[in-house]
Amino acid sequence: MVDWLTTSWLWLTRNWLYIAVPLVIFLATYVVGLWVRRIVYRAFNRWMVGKWEGGQLIIHTTRTPFIYWFLILGAFIAIQVSKLNSSAKIFADKILASLFVFSLTWVVVSLSTQILKLYIGKVPRLQPSETLIVNAVRIAIAVVGALILLDVWGAPTTPIILLLAAAILIAALAFRDVLANFFSGFQLAQGEQIKVGDFIKLESGESGYVTDVTWRNTQVRALDGNLILVPNSRLVQSTVINYGRPLKKATRPFRFYTRLYLKELTGLKASNLVELVNMLKEVPDSVIYYHTHHFLEEYHYLTPEPANDFALWVSDELGDEVIGEKLASIDTFDFPTISALRARIEGVIRDYLSKKPDGRTAREGREFHFIKSVSFIMPTPYVAHDLREFIEVLRQVSINSLAYHIFEARLRLKKGVSDFAIWIEECLDDKDLAEKLAYLDPYNYTLEGLRSTMIQVIEKRIK
Amino acid sequence: MQNEIHLQSRIRLQDYEPIVGRSCLEELRMLTEKSSGKVVQIINSTFIGGGVAEILEHMVPLLNQLGVDVRWNVINGSDEFFEVTKKFHNALHGKHEKISPRDFALFSEVTERNLEEMSFYGDIVFVHDPQPVGLIAKKKEIGKKWVWRCHIDVSSPDRKVWRFLRGFIVDYDAAVFSAPNFAQQLPIRQFLITPSIDPLSDKNKELDSGTIDTVLAKYGLVSDKPMITQISRFDRLKDPLGVIEAFEMVRKSIDCQLVLAGGTATDDPESEEVLEEVRKRVEENPDIHVLLVPPESDIEINALQRAATIIIQKSLKEGFGLTISEALWKAKPVVASAVGGIPLQVKNKFTGLLCYTVEGAAYALKQLLSNPEYANWLGQNGKEHVKQNFLITGHLKDYLLMFLSLDQTSDVIYL
Repeated sequence: MVDWLTTSWLWLTRNWLYIAVPLVIFLATYVVGLWVRRIVYRAFNRWMVGKWEGGQLIIHTTRTPFIYWFLILGAFIAIQVSKLNSSAKIFADKILASLFVFSLTWVVVSLSTQILKLYIGKVPRLQPSETLIVNAVRIAIAVVGALILLDVWGAPTTPIILLLAAAILIAALAFRDVLANFFSGFQLAQGEQIKVGDFIKLESGESGYVTDVTWRNTQVRALDGNLILVPNSRLVQSTVINYGRPLKKATRPFRFYTRLYLKELTGLKASNLVELVNMLKEVPDSVIYYHTHHFLEEYHYLTPEPANDFALWVSDELGDEVIGEKLASIDTFDFPTISALRARIEGVIRDYLSKKPDGRTAREGREFHFIKSVSFIMPTPYVAHDLREFIEVLRQVSINSLAYHIFEARLRLKKGVSDFAIWIEECLDDKDLAEKLAYLDPYNYTLEGLRSTMIQVIEKRIK
Repeated sequence: MQNEIHLQSRIRLQDYEPIVGRSCLEELRMLTEKSSGKVVQIINSTFIGGGVAEILEHMVPLLNQLGVDVRWNVINGSDEFFEVTKKFHNALHGKHEKISPRDFALFSEVTERNLEEMSFYGDIVFVHDPQPVGLIAKKKEIGKKWVWRCHIDVSSPDRKVWRFLRGFIVDYDAAVFSAPNFAQQLPIRQFLITPSIDPLSDKNKELDSGTIDTVLAKYGLVSDKPMITQISRFDRLKDPLGVIEAFEMVRKSIDCQLVLAGGTATDDPESEEVLEEVRKRVEENPDIHVLLVPPESDIEINALQRAATIIIQKSLKEGFGLTISEALWKAKPVVASAVGGIPLQVKNKFTGLLCYTVEGAAYALKQLLSNPEYANWLGQNGKEHVKQNFLITGHLKDYLLMFLSLDQTSDVIYL
């Protein structure tokens, strides 16, 4: 032990310069590093004040590694001036270069993560993709760092680069839809063609307000309340009608209802006008409603539609064209209630009977059978918050829904006018449009004709 | 369970969307939601053969697809029993039948046996036609809602048979008839629900011209002149001789041909006799073709209807007469007698022409042959009329509404 210490001391006294010089250089570099960091960061901080909030991130992230890099620099210079043999120097250089690459990679990853998060936080449409974007950038930087490290140690990087290129190509092919949506989303955002709040109509016929545009898809709130997710790539490639910003919102949304009906047989039948008028007095309102309205739905495709059942029966089965014409010409639109309509039909027949009491009798099997309409009313998922949505729903709902809001609400539910006119006046405060719709005589149109006429009237209004 | 059938259809409910529209299917689904949870037990007398089984075969799988728990059972009965019920059937149609007290007793015996053997599990027991009508006796014991569906024209029934059946019917919660004039004075609710056709079935689906030509060639028909066609089994009530007479009147002034196509029924010995009569009557007229079409030839029937210029149905008596809806669905102009349920399908001068006599039929045929545009207008209207009123989707809707109505009495029901 004593011998070893003696030998070492002798070697140090002879070669102390070989150690002292590199050590001094190393320490001097460290001191210079501290001094440079102080000046540079102070100047940088002063220069960045109020210019860019990312400046503070750079300072915080690089402040400590900055000193490490000077330490690595000091160690490098020290090794170069030392008396180590060349192979030891090369090995030491590689270790230092690796440490530098590693720390630099770590700093770049950390810094880019923070900067990305800073910016993604400001762009709502990017927020759902934050993790994806940050991880993609981290992986890309780490891969570059790893490749440099491999290069430092002399490992062949070309096959790895080729492998990586192939993997990227495969990933690009596998995720081509995602990429296509990503770039389409970018295209949409750049062009500002579709924005949140716009009312759009897709090629498939669906329509609604845009509630969000992400990098992958565009979200549309459909008229039935469902959320439609349209891939951005499809949106860019297809024809989309953009009606623009929302119209005036109603104070209360309009919920579309539909009405289906079941025919209930009363078992009552009339063979002649006297029996007909006597039974007309007794039957419930739902019978009068059925015989004056079912043609509108069952024969809605005909122009002109046949008149009420009473007129048709007396003409066809009793062969009395005169009273048939009188009954056919009763304008249902003139009557606000079924009772009033019933009284008019009764009046026409009684008046006729007073002048011509000997009417004909229908053949057996061709009597007039009184049928009752039992209505089943149910809400549909369709809701309109403004006239744009209202028009689009109007295009889609069944004729049963139209019949409910136009005929049934007006006469059977005793509202006097259609539900549409009431909503437009009360909830959109548009008396003029409400009146235009209220004055449309629905009995003069087929249901499809009425649908398109109402749409035209409203469209003209919102233009 | 014995006598229960589980059906699966190759047709999906959404297959009807291009025909009836999205909103129609949406409404069916909404209705189903409102009636969910109830088990509907359908009971009739056979799974195979006859119009009722044919409709149920299509309807039950579709109701199941909608989510309605519908199960189908049949009653057991001897040949003797079904002979009695066949007599009942004819008597309800107004035909005179000799029905003895023994026949009524047999009907009651078989009903008793079925009451003991059958399991009644439905929240709604939906009984079709007269054969199982007596099962209503179980209602006193198990309660539940009971509906009787009558597919027969009971507008002028044999009073004795009707009185007998009425004793059962009045205990039901409701009865369903196919036409307004079938309604009776009953103390229970009566609904009008018409039968329907399935637009996607072999009998009604679209056919390509190649298939139609093949069928025409098979029966030795050529399409070089207007074709008037009646599709019906050979039965006096379908008045084939009246059709021939009307055709002969038309043929005097218009060059055309007549096709009488149909089958004979094994349970109707008279049909062979009628076929022979018809064949004898037309043997010297090359423009009249009498075709005996085997059963299960739906595509051939479809092709013959599509090849026709005019479809005629000159029945003297008819239940509902779904062959009219089949013809109208193919946009064919129709001339038909104003009997049974035909006036519901043919609104005179709007969706076809109604007639009452041979002369009337001949006049209507001439009008249509001479005015193809008018004929086409009627045909198109007819197709729309069937689409609106006589397709299976509408039938499903009516049944769902009827099930819902059993718990309601108001005329306006909010679901």
